[in-house]
Amino acid sequence: MEIITVKDLTKTFPYSVKEKGLKGSLHNLFARQTLQKTAVSGVSFAVEQGEAVGLLGPNGAGKTTTLKMLAGILYPTSGTVTVAGYVPWERRRDYQRRFAIVMGQKTQLWPDLPALDTFELNRRIYQIDEDPYRRTLDELTGLLDVRSLLQVQVRRLSLGERMKMELIAALLHRPEILYLDEPTIGLDILSQRSIREFLHYYNQQTKTTILLTSHYTTDIEAICPRSVIINHGNVVFDGPLAEVSEVFGHKKLVSIKARRDLTAGELAQFGAVRQLERSTALLEVERDGLERCLQRLFGAVPVVDLDVKDIPIEEGIAYFYRKAGVDAQ
Amino acid sequence: MTAAGYCYVFGMGMQKAMAYRADFFLSIVSCIFPIIMQVYLWTALYAAGAADTNGYTYEQMILYTLLAGVTSRIVATGFENDVARDIKDGGLNKYLVKPMNYGAYCFAQFAGGKAAAAGFLLAAAAAVLGGAALTLGVPFAPVRLALYALSLVLALVLNFAIFFTIALLGFWLTEISQLFGTISIVIMVVSGGVFPLDIFGPAAAAAAAVLPFGYTTQFCVNIVSGRLAMDEIWPGFAAQLLWTAVFTAAHTALWRRGAKRYTAVGG
Repeated sequence: MEIITVKDLTKTFPYSVKEKGLKGSLHNLFARQTLQKTAVSGVSFAVEQGEAVGLLGPNGAGKTTTLKMLAGILYPTSGTVTVAGYVPWERRRDYQRRFAIVMGQKTQLWPDLPALDTFELNRRIYQIDEDPYRRTLDELTGLLDVRSLLQVQVRRLSLGERMKMELIAALLHRPEILYLDEPTIGLDILSQRSIREFLHYYNQQTKTTILLTSHYTTDIEAICPRSVIINHGNVVFDGPLAEVSEVFGHKKLVSIKARRDLTAGELAQFGAVRQLERSTALLEVERDGLERCLQRLFGAVPVVDLDVKDIPIEEGIAYFYRKAGVDAQ
Repeated sequence: MTAAGYCYVFGMGMQKAMAYRADFFLSIVSCIFPIIMQVYLWTALYAAGAADTNGYTYEQMILYTLLAGVTSRIVATGFENDVARDIKDGGLNKYLVKPMNYGAYCFAQFAGGKAAAAGFLLAAAAAVLGGAALTLGVPFAPVRLALYALSLVLALVLNFAIFFTIALLGFWLTEISQLFGTISIVIMVVSGGVFPLDIFGPAAAAAAAVLPFGYTTQFCVNIVSGRLAMDEIWPGFAAQLLWTAVFTAAHTALWRRGAKRYTAVGG
């Protein structure tokens, strides 16, 4: 069942420009030039109940703006959105009880008080009964391993611990839909992994619908079977993330280490030389001719070590980012 | 959110105010310094015969200065900077997505912060009143003390409504801190927080009676000092309620329009 339906969603913001220097500042003080920036342009997609979908895109692509409109924080310039039958920006209390949003760069916790105080506050805001509240809190603090930190002032927590507390605060009322805006930004590898594993487990166990934005493809791969790539406000890809790299599916990367220094000239016959440093090189070769290429390579170069890999998924994503940029221009 | 929820926010506001002890006590005692300066100023002016105060004796003026200093401190706001920052930096996001009223939330937090300091501030007010009763021989009727307490509660609500309305202008003016600075000083003066407005004659007194600001400080002081007759007090309460209703309507309208303009800056 479709729970999120987005059709032709567009959002423009006014912004002003200023020429450089004092002269520009003085001019700007009295005659400000206001322009319109289109952050989201005719975006359409749908999300099924219980699905976990990743929203990908470069900075300024419109991912966060899209999430903010879905959460009812922003009014769109045009287009329609329904989430669980509600129009988000009408800010109906019933809708607000059915979703939660966690923003990696914003906090809902009171920094001067322990996280437990914010949890108690959320219990009252969402009118959660004492027993289910205790059970949920116990479960979430156990899963995220932060039970011993509940009474520590929030500003004294590490970034990873704070993000875990943010997730708990967001999930206490058991939302059906969870919007996550870069929840692992700035976290160390262990914290990232811990949060990733938790979100995947939580989605599997509770069938909570998740819409996630992140610059880390590992987050998306671990949590979201489906990805939507947005750039310049448009949807440029919608499908499993693995399919993103299929644009480069006909190519392979061959890394070699030789017994002597290599030259670009001698390697060019095998494929495109991506990197070359003394005796190590990285080549991009056609998949269909890989076997013959390797045979020739072994014959021509004293190979010590060799590795064949797929093109990294990030390159597929970058391709879509650039493609959308070119199309938009 | 239910009333119990806002009561919890009230409690959190109290906890937040007391989280940092030095800041908490400094915020309370900081009101003493301007009061001392004014007392010295009035003493010098009266000694030189240069004070044209439209009928205020030296004792009355000192009593007014002391009471106005404490009263204006009791009703003072400060939350407006937090509201403006929420609007400017996108901190408002977390309130817009929850089933709660942002204005009521701010008020509960503000009132909680006030309650934390209230014990100390009311003790200061009691000390001023007790000292005045002993040294100046001014009698304070219990009924006037009770009405003073009531006027303080209403003044607190009115001052919140005024400053919340001003704070919501942040939806239209990106940087509003200078405006707060200017408005706070003007309101401090026109509320009678520095000196009684009727020293400027009947016109100023009439203006103070019509405008909302005098009902946050001067009205309260005049109740307890006995400058207002009993039959003048009840219209004053009505004016406090009326102006609160006016500013509540104003900030409700501003919120409706502003929330549509809100740009939720930042990730």
